[in-house]
Amino acid sequence: MVKFTVEELRRIMDMKHNIRNMSVIAHVDHGKSTLTDSLVAAAGIIAQEVAGDVRMTDTRQDEAERGITIKSTGISLYYEMSDESLKNYKGERNGNEYLINLIDSPGHVDFSSEVTAALRITDGALVVVDCVEGVCVQTETVLRQALGERIRPVLTVNKMDRCFLELQVDGEEAYQTFQRVIENANVIMATYEDPLLGDVQVYPEKGTVAFSAGLHGWAFTLTNFAKMYAAKFGVDEAKMMERLWGENYFDPATKKWTNKNTGSPTCKRGFVQFCYEPIKQIIRTCMNDQKDKLWPMLQKLGVSMKSDEKELMGKALMKRVMQTWLPASSALLEMMIFHLPSPSKAQKYRVENLYEGPLDDVYANAIRNCDPEGPLMLYVSKMIPASDKGRFFAFGRVFSGRVSTGMKVRIMGPNYVPGQKKDLYVKSVQRTVIWMGKRQESVEDVPCGNTVAMVGLDQFITKNATLTNEKEADAHPIRAMKFSVSPVVRVAVQCKIASDLPKLVEGLKRLAKSDPMVVCTIEESGEHIIAGAGELHLEICLKDLQEDFMGGAEIVVSDPVVSFRETVLEKSCRTVMSKSPNKHNRLYMEARPMEDGLAEAIDEGRIGPRDDPKVRAKILSEEFGWDKDLAKKIWCFGPETTGPNMVVDMCKGVQYLNEIKDSVVAGFQWASKEGAMAEENMRGICFEVCDVVLHADAIHRGGGQIIPTARRVIYASQLTAKPRLLEPVYLVEIQAPEQALGGIYGVLNQKRGHVFEELQRPGTPLYNIKAYLPVIESFGFSGTLRAATSGQAFPQCVFDHWDMMSSDPLEPGTQAAQLVSDIRKRKGLKDQMTPLSEYEDKL
Amino acid sequence: MDFESNYEISRTADFIRTRNFTKVALQFPDELLKESTRVAKALRNELGKGVRLYVMADAAYGSCCVDEIGASHVDADCVVHYGHACMSPTSTLLALFVFGKASIDVNACAKSLRHCLSTANKPILVLYGLEYAHALENLKTVVAELLQLSVSNSGVHFAEVACSSINPSGDKMTDKKQLYSHNGVSDNEEVHKYEDGNTSLISVNCNTLEPCTKYSLGGLIWTMPVGHKMEDYLLLWIGSENPAFTNVVLTFNNCEIVRYDAEESNLLKDFADQRRILKRRYYLVEKAKDANIVGILVGTLGVAGYLRIIQQMKELIEGAGKKSYTLVMGRPNSAKLANFLECDVFVYVSCAQTALLDSKEFLAPVITPFEAVLAFSRGSKWTGEYVINFQDLTASTTSDVVNDTEEARFSFIQGGYVEDIRPLENGGEHKETSLALAEATEKALNLQNQCTDSVLFKGKATSGAEFFAARSFQGLNMQYENPLPQSYVIGRTGRASGYEDEK
Repeated sequence: MVKFTVEELRRIMDMKHNIRNMSVIAHVDHGKSTLTDSLVAAAGIIAQEVAGDVRMTDTRQDEAERGITIKSTGISLYYEMSDESLKNYKGERNGNEYLINLIDSPGHVDFSSEVTAALRITDGALVVVDCVEGVCVQTETVLRQALGERIRPVLTVNKMDRCFLELQVDGEEAYQTFQRVIENANVIMATYEDPLLGDVQVYPEKGTVAFSAGLHGWAFTLTNFAKMYAAKFGVDEAKMMERLWGENYFDPATKKWTNKNTGSPTCKRGFVQFCYEPIKQIIRTCMNDQKDKLWPMLQKLGVSMKSDEKELMGKALMKRVMQTWLPASSALLEMMIFHLPSPSKAQKYRVENLYEGPLDDVYANAIRNCDPEGPLMLYVSKMIPASDKGRFFAFGRVFSGRVSTGMKVRIMGPNYVPGQKKDLYVKSVQRTVIWMGKRQESVEDVPCGNTVAMVGLDQFITKNATLTNEKEADAHPIRAMKFSVSPVVRVAVQCKIASDLPKLVEGLKRLAKSDPMVVCTIEESGEHIIAGAGELHLEICLKDLQEDFMGGAEIVVSDPVVSFRETVLEKSCRTVMSKSPNKHNRLYMEARPMEDGLAEAIDEGRIGPRDDPKVRAKILSEEFGWDKDLAKKIWCFGPETTGPNMVVDMCKGVQYLNEIKDSVVAGFQWASKEGAMAEENMRGICFEVCDVVLHADAIHRGGGQIIPTARRVIYASQLTAKPRLLEPVYLVEIQAPEQALGGIYGVLNQKRGHVFEELQRPGTPLYNIKAYLPVIESFGFSGTLRAATSGQAFPQCVFDHWDMMSSDPLEPGTQAAQLVSDIRKRKGLKDQMTPLSEYEDKL
Repeated sequence: MDFESNYEISRTADFIRTRNFTKVALQFPDELLKESTRVAKALRNELGKGVRLYVMADAAYGSCCVDEIGASHVDADCVVHYGHACMSPTSTLLALFVFGKASIDVNACAKSLRHCLSTANKPILVLYGLEYAHALENLKTVVAELLQLSVSNSGVHFAEVACSSINPSGDKMTDKKQLYSHNGVSDNEEVHKYEDGNTSLISVNCNTLEPCTKYSLGGLIWTMPVGHKMEDYLLLWIGSENPAFTNVVLTFNNCEIVRYDAEESNLLKDFADQRRILKRRYYLVEKAKDANIVGILVGTLGVAGYLRIIQQMKELIEGAGKKSYTLVMGRPNSAKLANFLECDVFVYVSCAQTALLDSKEFLAPVITPFEAVLAFSRGSKWTGEYVINFQDLTASTTSDVVNDTEEARFSFIQGGYVEDIRPLENGGEHKETSLALAEATEKALNLQNQCTDSVLFKGKATSGAEFFAARSFQGLNMQYENPLPQSYVIGRTGRASGYEDEK
């Protein structure tokens, strides 16, 4: 039942002022997909009757089974506004037809990378909040992410039906709840002050907040009611909207508006009087099947029902009536059209966030103006598996120019450096496709401001890329996406039958492509590793790998593995020395832990190898109390030249020292990648080169002599500085009713977790608990928690920080020692750590 | 075991006498060096004054290979090689092998064998370390008695020693593959001709007249009826856990293998370590795929065909758009390899039993030519097959048709697609090296300092010159700040292990 044809759709795609690219974001289970479906129903892709029961956007079988969204799905919707409703619209427009490119994103934290990918290619966001549960962790995370990308939000308070049917709260109480939800959201948004984006907070009286019941397919904004009452009260709509929210009270007895409750029993808040109560009344009448009362009421509201609909009873009747009276689609779509920016509007300010190159070049200008005649700038944000096995659509957004079938494009990968040939391909687009729910339609070309899927580029794009015209050699790429989660949970996979190895390799390649977050690598021991954001994420990945990408070939999956870090607790107890293989050169070194927060600063890139040494010295001396001169003597960072460890030169007047710097750095890069204890990465260690004795002949102090020696002396200094293990720790957020708290605490204690915040949600019986939980203990945590609380608690885990394990790994029998020996065993290393005497030499 | 028979003095003497050799080099591995004078004396007594004997030790490469360079220093006519041998074909000199005779309890071994046969419902193929070859006939008889059957149909098959002497093949390709018949090690008088150094293992010499397939590995040969696969057999290895055994495990990684330890007289079935080696090698191949600069390490100057394989490696590496440097450094160790920081991976061309070099101490992985072929030819996949001997590579790789789908390469080290430098785009690479150096320097100067880190430590350099240009120290300054000579200072005295002022 497609209401529009591809040609029709393609025609609207050229009207850049009439396009809205938006994503639906929310906490898990707040009703994004259900709400989206009612919008899709309005665009006519599925029948009106089944909206709410069939989740159109959850196209995967496992999504339907689990009732959660796993992959974000894009749909193009078409909506025609009436002249009347557009009369207040101030912005530029091009007729009454609107194209809405909507992306439904998953709410579970394990899949937040999908949200990131969705946000990149949209300009606005519909934030869905459960009216009972309020603003939750994931709401906050995704909202922050959206604002970081300069995405303008509008809010909908969802699951209104719960207020009326389940909780049956009275009007004032409900108002307070809604008000709190909106306030909580505004608190987050207020922290993002952005002159270009303007005020991003949402206000019901301005029409940027909707109230919806996704399941029943109805929704309203104050605009709906204001229109209805404006004539009656003889005021204009804007004035009426203001009266319908906040401290405005109306007493029907006196027919007067006041600014506070007069105390008279008939005096009620405007919102309650004119919005909440009428809805409540209609719903009650429907549920009680008081049809004799219902029809006159509906007539007054100007709602006409079809005769067969009049036969419906109870809930079905209520649903039908509400959908007819306050259709969700028109309320929400009109809110988006009114308050979310068009691509041409949004790209004016988003160009700064998007483009890596100079902001005054032709490409930046083309993006800024959303110029369809400009050079092509297209960002591929994700790869979507196609129905023919093994191939992928490259899905993204055209920021300027147009992309057409058969066009030759330059593909700039994430490692592309302008002016070089690395990670750069020139290939032609076989087909351009637009997405319509489960259907894909081929189109000749897609102009800027729209989302597009392309065929034929999948063999050159791992996860994302920037595309330009073939000839545009001086274009810079669009900035890479920043993910809020990191892949901390890993499993090793191997195939049951050795000869299936090529299948596994091919499967892993495809898996890496299909998900923005998953990382497929290989360990030193030759095991293939899949790393994901959490247990659920990995589970889904493994299922995809085996069933979709390997054709059902059997694989063996190891238990989840967590990677650790090696650090030191104190400064080395003495200066350690190692001699080169020819005994002619000696390196003296000490290790010490970095100052608190320094490792994080390096992680974030505030301090790094590419800094101006003066700036670096300033930060180090002001924030971390370093000596200014010393800060200039940092030789390098590692591992991978950017990691959170460093080598500092503390020598005084040593000859030839500059000559061995590269060799020492090479040794350090190597050693910091594989620490002395369990060959895990080092973290937060500062190595100080105290003294160096070198042979006078250059030939005897070459790399061959120095590199292995530097590695040994680094290990020796690590081992003498009370080495410790760092384990990754999740921040867990749990929402549960009071009676479940006991169970939650019990499970957390048993899993070495500790609660650091417990807050009751005002106005609800729910508690919000924040706790730290070691990642290694988190496997099966969800399940245990559910069992202990009879299904009332649902945790969300995000990697938060590295935590030092207090026990000494060098002392046999401790927990850390046990861990080290387990890791060594898994890696196929000797069971015993190499002793200090192997690394340190004595005179 | 008595000295005379252990070192096969009379057989060696006969071998030399029949060929009228006058200069003979005796090559000893380090652990047998202490016996060398006794052996030389015994041989002299047998041969008389006419023959000059030279004792060689401390071979530049593995002691399992015949040290032809060493022997040619004295212009020797032949080499007698003592101890463990890899039986790699020689290129210029005739070699006689004396494996030595390790003691073995034949009865216990036969019992173990029977136990194996009863538990596994597969036929058994017996392979062994060459030092146990002397006991083979004895073992066969005992096994036959024990099983009350003739050996031929008991389901137990024995590999034979291919030959105990090797004729040089020269370094030329001979298509004619000849393997003369022999009756095993007992028949020592017969000269075994072994023409072209074809110790092929899977590249099968299939003779249509005889319905069998010939295999040979590390000096052992065996045949198998056509239609039988190696996987159908249980392999029993008699001997210690040495490189020869590792080669067997790697080559037949699909087979079930048990090891009989002759010293402890027991059976071992757990080879997790060896299996792990295979996976580790797989990782090294993946790592090698990311390399830009490849060092070819010459690990032998004797094994037949080494020049050809080096040439082949060079072409392969160039074809993959990478840069290669050929290095001769004797036996590689971590210090020597670390002198070539710019190489991301080394390909080690050597005899089969020293080929697997892997150590935590190495900065860059060292791979075998077979692995290099896997890593550097696009589209090749590892199916589990493993070839250790590089001679077998020369034949098999040339026919490799690379179906280039033009797909970018997925690197498992980096977890994403990477762009390899295409050999076609590199057409201009054949410029003068000096020019390349100048250009690279210029490029390095133009770029900001920032990139040097990734060039130096992340293997982003594409040539030695580029790497050199990125180094922070590039040699002494030609212009001194103060051109006057400095006054001399008193240096340190003493030895490097502790100078005098440090005691």
